[in-house]
Amino acid sequence: MKVTLAMKPAAKGFIPIEAESIVPKNFLAGTDLLVWRGNRELRLDEVFSVSVEGEADRAEGVEVVLSGETFRLKRVGEYMDGGKITVLGGIGMHCGNFMSGGTIEIHGNADGWLGREMAGGTIICRGDAADYCASGYRGGRKGMKGGTVEVFGHTGDFLAESLAGGTVVVHGDAGDMPGAEMRGGTLVVDGDCSRPAANMKGGSCYVYGTARGMLPTFKKIGTVQHEGRTLIQFAGDLANRGKGNLFVKGYEYLD
Amino acid sequence: MIVKDAVCPFCGCLCDDIEVEVEEGRVVAVTNACELGTTKFMGEKRMKNPILRDGDRWKDITYDEAVRYAADVLLEAERPLLYGWSGTHGEAQCVGVHMAELIRGVIDNTSSVCHGPSILAIQEVGHPGCTLGVVKNRADLVIYWGSNPIDAHPRHLSRYTRYAEGFFLENAFRDRKVIVIDVRKTETANIADEFVQIRPGGDYAVLSALRAIVQGKADTIPRTVAGVTREQLVRVANLCMNAKFGAVYFGLGLTMTQGKYKNIRNAIELVSELSRHTKFTISAMRGHYNVYGSNEVNTWMTGYPFGIDFSRGIAFYNPGETTAVDILARKECDAALIVGSDPAAHFPRKCLEHLADIPVVQLDPYPNATTAFCNVQIPVAVTGIDAEGTAYRMDGVPIRTRKVLSTDYLSDEEVLARMYARMQEVLEQ
Repeated sequence: MKVTLAMKPAAKGFIPIEAESIVPKNFLAGTDLLVWRGNRELRLDEVFSVSVEGEADRAEGVEVVLSGETFRLKRVGEYMDGGKITVLGGIGMHCGNFMSGGTIEIHGNADGWLGREMAGGTIICRGDAADYCASGYRGGRKGMKGGTVEVFGHTGDFLAESLAGGTVVVHGDAGDMPGAEMRGGTLVVDGDCSRPAANMKGGSCYVYGTARGMLPTFKKIGTVQHEGRTLIQFAGDLANRGKGNLFVKGYEYLD
Repeated sequence: MIVKDAVCPFCGCLCDDIEVEVEEGRVVAVTNACELGTTKFMGEKRMKNPILRDGDRWKDITYDEAVRYAADVLLEAERPLLYGWSGTHGEAQCVGVHMAELIRGVIDNTSSVCHGPSILAIQEVGHPGCTLGVVKNRADLVIYWGSNPIDAHPRHLSRYTRYAEGFFLENAFRDRKVIVIDVRKTETANIADEFVQIRPGGDYAVLSALRAIVQGKADTIPRTVAGVTREQLVRVANLCMNAKFGAVYFGLGLTMTQGKYKNIRNAIELVSELSRHTKFTISAMRGHYNVYGSNEVNTWMTGYPFGIDFSRGIAFYNPGETTAVDILARKECDAALIVGSDPAAHFPRKCLEHLADIPVVQLDPYPNATTAFCNVQIPVAVTGIDAEGTAYRMDGVPIRTRKVLSTDYLSDEEVLARMYARMQEVLEQ
């Protein structure tokens, strides 16, 4: 079953729309769903032109395609456990929060908290992702616990904050403090970033570019070969328990 | 008439030993207060009555008209923003939270642009803090990190640290060491026993290095960290570990620089580490006299300290998304109520551009920068001068501010309560 949701031009400026009801499973029972614009509840067809092709009896058989000005659409795919969501443009905050299965593919850019606290499934973002991609929630001890997030562009600050499991791969640069407080899982940044793996407790962080503002509390172990690259291995964060592994191609201290 | 033991409604020190001399309904002299407090007590040129923007002119209106306008504008909005609150008393803040819930708006206070990051860090790792009196009487080491009390909290030094007597210190002035850590040599640095100058953006690295040194891992630290030599870091760590009672006070130099709440988290974790060796505490140098109260009131009413979004009928909290600067910069609100603060003087231009596009109502005794962005401004009594109410000191101690003179102005609480009543009336119809 393919559900196409084409966003109608916004009547009311820039007020974000919260649409946690847009999850493949929900469309098995029809398209009679509700979304919120600020403090007003709206029917799905007040915001989108909705069309459905084919049928499905399981979430895995449902693909939701979103088009139009979707960059202000929040919480799409929250708690998703199967099926597919394709976003042709950009997507708003909290896309794929808590997801445990299925695939979300975003062709444009993603706003903050993409895949926050996800437990499984796959998120592919073809553009850039903003701050807190694949991170945790305020005050939380564990962020992403499983699954995969792959970003082809750049990411903002606090990428994979409190990462506890799963894999996060960024093909561009990451901002400040990727992998802060990480305790498990794998984080790979193909480009540059600053202050990676601050206060890490466990897990592995790879930076194939340069780590700027490298923290003074990582202990150099030596060089290792990793997927055809020569990387410098550090143990850290010594300010914490020093049980994590950080691998960087190059680094600069703020000295 | 002289009013004794008045409470100064300026900064988070909330000094409660002020003497105010009042003659013919005016404050004519202030004793004991610092220059900042004195200026606030002596403030003049208040707005006389509510005003409504009428084209490119202002029109005088009555309180009833202003209240009606404000209530209607906020009720009509799909995502109203209720911002400010640090310059008013707790009772008014209570009405504000009820109002946010009733009209399903977002309520945020000025801590989202000052010590909000401190609270985010506290939510991650807790707050090993204490009251100011404990520091005054016991601390033999005080660290000011990214804060400059001589300019911002002038009496903090004389009432609680550098120049204060201490019950458990024989000669407080001699026995108490002061360390200042900052990116530039401030006035406070001049009276410190040790000054640590950090390169801008290097606080986090220095905090991490100190944590490692306190754990006995000094040999792994590079020769310099953000402009600070390893020798100095080791000296500072030793001063801390050898102190009987240490207290860290941090300001916006730590909360609003690169890394923000992670800086504070690192500082709290350093304090926890030091507490394995001696007694150490950490507290924020809160700015406005009742900004701590706005966090208290919001927390006990909603569960969250600032940036609370009621649009779905329940409280949702996510600083960076539900905080005033982010909402305004992203144009995500369609009306605003400003109480006891002046965002136009402090917010980025992008935020003000949106503020200029939406209806704005402000409660403030004086014309200020935000007046230029308002549709309606309602003058109110000043808490601590002609209105009384509860305020929370920077260490979380509630103190009832006193009235030193009487005027005809309504308090924030009274104006907000009238607005709330009008909203209830409209919603019931």
